[in-house]
Amino acid sequence: MSGQSIWDRLENIPREILYGILLVVFVIPMVFPLGLPVPISSNVETWYDTIEALPPGSVVMIDFGYSGGGEPELGPMAVAVYKHLFRKDGIKVVAMSTSIEGTQLWDRAMDEIRPESYDAVYGVDYIHIGYIAGTETAMAAIGTDLRATTSTDYHGDSLSQFSIMDGINGAEDFDLLICYTTGGDQSEGWVRQWVTVYGTDYMCSVLAMMVPTMLPYQDAGQIISVTSGAQAGEMESLVRVPARGIKSADVITLTHILVIIYVLIGNVAALMKRGGNS
Amino acid sequence: MLILIWVFILYGMERAKKELPRFRRLTGLDALPEMVGRAAEMNRPLHFTTGLGSLTTTVAPQLVAGLAVLAYVAELCANYGVKMIYSVYQAQVMPIATELMKDAYVKAGKPEEFIPEDQVRYLSGEQFAYASAVQGIAERERPAANIMIGPFYAESMLFAETFNRIGSIQLAGTARGYQIPFFAVICDYLLIAEEIYAAGAYLSKDPITSGTIMGQDYGKIVALLLMLLGVLATTFGSSIITDLLGM
Amino acid sequence: MSITVRKTLPIVIVFVIAVVVMSDYFLVLPPVNDAGTSWTGSAVTSLQNWGIILTAFSLGFGAVNLFFFHSKHISRRTPDQWYYSLWLLIVVVIFTVIGVFLGPNSDQYSWLYNASYFALSATVYSSLGFYMTSGVYRALRVKNTESGIFLVVGLLVLAKNAPALTVYFPVLRDIVSFITGILTTSAQRGIMIGGALGAISLGIRTMTGRETGFLGKLTEEERGGAVG
Repeated sequence: MSGQSIWDRLENIPREILYGILLVVFVIPMVFPLGLPVPISSNVETWYDTIEALPPGSVVMIDFGYSGGGEPELGPMAVAVYKHLFRKDGIKVVAMSTSIEGTQLWDRAMDEIRPESYDAVYGVDYIHIGYIAGTETAMAAIGTDLRATTSTDYHGDSLSQFSIMDGINGAEDFDLLICYTTGGDQSEGWVRQWVTVYGTDYMCSVLAMMVPTMLPYQDAGQIISVTSGAQAGEMESLVRVPARGIKSADVITLTHILVIIYVLIGNVAALMKRGGNS
Repeated sequence: MLILIWVFILYGMERAKKELPRFRRLTGLDALPEMVGRAAEMNRPLHFTTGLGSLTTTVAPQLVAGLAVLAYVAELCANYGVKMIYSVYQAQVMPIATELMKDAYVKAGKPEEFIPEDQVRYLSGEQFAYASAVQGIAERERPAANIMIGPFYAESMLFAETFNRIGSIQLAGTARGYQIPFFAVICDYLLIAEEIYAAGAYLSKDPITSGTIMGQDYGKIVALLLMLLGVLATTFGSSIITDLLGM
Repeated sequence: MSITVRKTLPIVIVFVIAVVVMSDYFLVLPPVNDAGTSWTGSAVTSLQNWGIILTAFSLGFGAVNLFFFHSKHISRRTPDQWYYSLWLLIVVVIFTVIGVFLGPNSDQYSWLYNASYFALSATVYSSLGFYMTSGVYRALRVKNTESGIFLVVGLLVLAKNAPALTVYFPVLRDIVSFITGILTTSAQRGIMIGGALGAISLGIRTMTGRETGFLGKLTEEERGGAVG
């Protein structure tokens, strides 16, 4: 390190320092929320409007296709959307999982949502039909013949005993499909297996890094709205159920600003070093 | 369109039997001998992974593409005397990879140097357990080169950054668009999307696989023409192309 | 085993099933039943269900493999490895016993999952943020024109993804919408088309027996023949 100028050091800041400052910036707004403004983007508005426009009696399929690692990002979005659906009269919500952890994560979401506070009854207003292996094979099978693919809910109770499942046999009986996933296989698979074949209305919420890759489907009209889990704060604002998402928005803002500062420091240092050498 | 592509590919395969098509340079693949040579000079192993691929999912083509490169790299490593470590995510891939690597060592005349228990490592079928195990291999064994070709998910960044930190030279390739930016930012060499499918043909000079790449390219030309016609038609108010494609 | 059993028969099976599935996707082949479903429809439904069963079976297969692999390490007392393998197998047994006897939806299983696997999974996933930070700090440097453009675009996208900044600088939204909606999306479309064509060509090679990787090890003689 001796003989190194300040610009050398700023150009090669050790990872430990970068991570340490980042950690502090993560923690402070979680402990002391700053209440920074959260604008509503057009895709989140579209998502909200689509659900608002659902008439009573509509049936919604939700795929809990994310893993435990994605729960901090997608969980708040899933919770806010469920609360929105439960607030509307007469909407039936059928959940399934193409992720093996989906049922545990659905339980976590239900603990946070507390459906009873919305007078939602399991088996009447909402249900979970379990984890179905095979990703696209599962999607295709459920779309073609749900009853042949699974005859029980995720507890193992027969679907025929639940009034919510009356008249629901396949993709054509659903008015809206929603997918939360950390894997592109699910988000793109639903386009191939349900949207292309049955024309089902479809919205998906994915990790922020996946959004650019999903945008072509939105532009082509195959997905109504693609949002990222990081926009959960916006959804919570619209639905008026502030929770983890709004809190995360402060963290996202500050950490992004910090990364911008890091990049600028690195570039200024490199430029000054080059200027000094020449 | 699908039938047309089928015809192109079958035509390409037949034509390639008479004359091998020429490929543009793929810097990443040309650098493979350099990467193996670096590992030999530094007396450190080479790490290879084909990511989270399974032969029964939609990402199977990427896994197969990765295995094609594995065979080539295994032969290079056998010739140079470099220890190659292949990290396995899906158990079903293990026997195939073991056979490919064993064949490579036999071809190099060094079958006794291949130790499957040490060189073909089944780590875990869980994404982050697998990712942590690969990071552990990187930290403990400090490979001089890291090759990642196949379907990768969130662990791509973990791998790329960890191997970069220990000073490995890296080649990455995936057709999963979500992860290409991460590899592009960190890795020394990159294969984007269909370049990984061409990798097997590029390295092996096999007429059949080379022919399919040629057929694919004809399919791409047709797709480009249709896009151009579609844009022009839509601009002038006609939906003939979109109707034709049934969209 | 003869070449017919090891190579020809599997390829014929792959070819026939692929043709049936593709036909069902694109066509309605007679005979059609009263519900308007082609005979291929019921065949495909069965195949899809078999596929689900096979995938579920492969999960168990993975667990068995795990046992074999780590048992070897324990029995050989592999240095720096055997105790980790032992702990892994103990945890697998605990999860399996609780899952089977109390059910995967029981409070005990949920507690175990939340306290261990979920916490670890979320932690490792979150570490991505740190890796991305150091990666971006090193990579977004101006060295030439292309890297300069890369830097500017990267900074704009970072700024737009900070929610509060778009409130104070609404122009960020329009600029980044153009970048992601027009430039990035076009590039992604190209990558997707290329990737799809590559997958199609591999499918055709597999169906016509020219791609035999999935069959495992074949002799030179077996590799020479092909179907179609």
